[in-house]
Amino acid sequence: MTTAAVALELRGISKNFGVTRALDQANLTAHYGSVHGLVGENGAGKSTLIKVLAGIHTPDSGTVRVGGVLHAGLTPRQIEKAGLYFIHQERLLPASFTVGEALFLGHELHRGPFVLRSTQEREARRLLKANFDLELPEGVLIRDLSSAEQQVVQITRALLGKPRVLVFDEPTVALVQHEVTQLQGIVRRLRGSGIAIVYISHYLHEIEALCDTVTVLRNGRNVAQVDPRKVPPEAIAELMVNRAVSDMYPKSHVAPGDSVLRVRGLTKAGAYENIALDLRQGEILGLTGLVGSGVKELVRSLFGLTPVTSGSIEIKGRSQPLRTLAPHRLLRAGLALLPEERRRQGVALDLSVLENTTLAGLSRWRRWGLLSRRKELQETLHQMTQLGIKTAGADAPVRTLSGGNQQKVALAKWLSRHSDIYLLDEPSVGIDIGAKVEIYRLIGQLVEQGAAVLLVSSDLPELLGLSDRILVMHRGHIAGDFVPSATNADQLLACATGAAVQQDTPLGHALPPHD
Amino acid sequence: MHTLPPPFKQRIALLFLRRGAPLAFLLILAVFALTAPNFLSIGNLANVFAQSAILGVLAFGLTIVIIGGGSNVVTGGLDLSLASNLGLCAAVYASLNNAGYGATTSIAATVLTGMAVGAVNGAVVVWLGLPPLLATLASLNLINGLELVLTENTVLPTSSVLLDLLSGGNWLGVPALAWIFTGTGLLLALLLQHSRFGLRLYAVGEYAEAARAAGIPVRSYVFFSYILSGICGALAAFLSAAWFSGSTTGSGELLLSVVAIAFLGVVFSPRVLPSITGTIFATLLVGFLMNGFQLLNISSFWVNGIQGALILLVVAASSMLRASK
Repeated sequence: MTTAAVALELRGISKNFGVTRALDQANLTAHYGSVHGLVGENGAGKSTLIKVLAGIHTPDSGTVRVGGVLHAGLTPRQIEKAGLYFIHQERLLPASFTVGEALFLGHELHRGPFVLRSTQEREARRLLKANFDLELPEGVLIRDLSSAEQQVVQITRALLGKPRVLVFDEPTVALVQHEVTQLQGIVRRLRGSGIAIVYISHYLHEIEALCDTVTVLRNGRNVAQVDPRKVPPEAIAELMVNRAVSDMYPKSHVAPGDSVLRVRGLTKAGAYENIALDLRQGEILGLTGLVGSGVKELVRSLFGLTPVTSGSIEIKGRSQPLRTLAPHRLLRAGLALLPEERRRQGVALDLSVLENTTLAGLSRWRRWGLLSRRKELQETLHQMTQLGIKTAGADAPVRTLSGGNQQKVALAKWLSRHSDIYLLDEPSVGIDIGAKVEIYRLIGQLVEQGAAVLLVSSDLPELLGLSDRILVMHRGHIAGDFVPSATNADQLLACATGAAVQQDTPLGHALPPHD
Repeated sequence: MHTLPPPFKQRIALLFLRRGAPLAFLLILAVFALTAPNFLSIGNLANVFAQSAILGVLAFGLTIVIIGGGSNVVTGGLDLSLASNLGLCAAVYASLNNAGYGATTSIAATVLTGMAVGAVNGAVVVWLGLPPLLATLASLNLINGLELVLTENTVLPTSSVLLDLLSGGNWLGVPALAWIFTGTGLLLALLLQHSRFGLRLYAVGEYAEAARAAGIPVRSYVFFSYILSGICGALAAFLSAAWFSGSTTGSGELLLSVVAIAFLGVVFSPRVLPSITGTIFATLLVGFLMNGFQLLNISSFWVNGIQGALILLVVAASSMLRASK
């Protein structure tokens, strides 16, 4: 990165929204043929910076140069002309389009007024094969593709425009581990072809594996530019949050008690089979598996959201009739679910912090048969202090809170009900590091207070750091039962991909290749 | 990697939608062919096409708006004012024609009226951001009012060369209305399913954010879809005026059939999307039902019931599909 020319240069970018200063003299320089990481907590100004780049926000001051040419106040289309392309976190492809139609949308191959559909399809297949060795069935629609395949289509779209700079905005959020590895291969290849790449991610190990330089943003300001090969992720994390993250995974030490959730022979045809697990009081039980392994279906079944074919579920010694398994029964039995889709299922975005907090236990705030606003407020303020929820007030709509604080509200809902068995589905996805640590601390507190936690996560370091035991699912079965102190992420992953069966099979013999 | 097949219920829904509709169509044709006298005669088939023309052209307009606004029944594109637009345009044409204005003036003023209604709808939807359901419901009332002012709620009989040509014209044994219906359908099918404009309009309707990211001016596209819909309303007004020899009252009653046809058309597309070709099939399906019932001397009121049942089936099946995503 010392000799290559500068591809993208942002100088002294400031942007205010009302009284909030989102960006304060932020700088970013990216060179051709290198990957430039951009990290920061949520609210640090990353997304504002990207939106300035994409022409969505006009900066109050500062300059943007692409390939040495000064640009100011450009439309998205002109930005593309300048050679700046974006791979967004969400796939911006219409679901009912064919690959060819999606790939060439806005730049269709045409003769006269007519779109040359079959030529587009053929070109699309050729490009995907040549660039990424991806072969898709003929006539396949975007909605039938996996997240990773859609992303490859998205990247191919960007490449059609001959980009000088490619910006990846949280590209791996929807990907599973081996797809992430694939994507990293693609990014490296693009770097090799001389494109400048800006890579934004919450996952610091990706930054470490991929980036040549990293810019750290905090409160809208550049706080450091570091070489991730020399500076460990922990140090980068500390720069981001401006405090030591020495104890990222606060470990609680609780001796597990009786089994509070006992599952035997649980089967849902086509999803998972013969699942047995015990969750004990004061225990954090980790559960992980790739997409399609049955983990998601299992969690939904445990909360009574999808029906079960056979087996038994026992909660605190009481067997639950499978036929009538429904959330409201399990809720009464003391179960709480923190769903993965926080914004859609975890909280009601338009309701206030107070309404969300008290929603799950409304009967507790009754007075003369009506809701007592005073009692509700008391409880909400209590939870706000306990969990450290940052909000403008108990009446603020949850929509206005940051991701981490929304997650805390989702948790507060169950805490105010005094639930004691928690099913946490990806509790830290999309939350910045500082808030993650707080969520981890809260999980630790939960078990200290005698709750039991089933932690479903695809973040392996998180699982290893928090869990007392880890179950790994593969193709609908529990394929491994690990103790975190005696294993590592590679072993968990090998088990999840089916590359290795648990300890009793020696690693490394006859591994079937996975992609 | 191991992927699970989609749940049973959704596979059934998909199968029903993809295969069921064409099968049902053929089945209905077969039943009528066997039971109703003269059903398959050229004269009768041409008659069905001609009778379908008014509903069909209106349904084309609605289809375009649904393509550009998305096919969600509540929040997507919708033009409830189409049938009333027909009424107003027919009234404008009849009044001007009767007042002695030339053919060009009358025709131009009628088309402009249709486009103006479309422009108002489009402007309210695009720039005021009102949901199309409410915006076009409001303009429906407005247009009905204007029509009443113009006609004082009476029938305005009128005749002109154009109307005579439309009602009496006949090429190769096929009535002019049938030609107009097929011609308009094919032209719009080319525009929406094979041109860059059409493809982009689909992108705008399905995923506006993606269209915007691809540099497509989303608002102009949506606005233009309402203009096209207005033009369809005006075109249908000529057909209606030819059919009834003047403007009639109560054209707003066509609305439910038009909505039914446009949503029914979705099942005739392999990707389960609104399309002009699908709407052509749906129009003919309804036309054949109505015609077959007449030939069999069954009350045509039954057709309403069957239309209703079909809408219910289609909407239920497509919402089941949506739930799978």
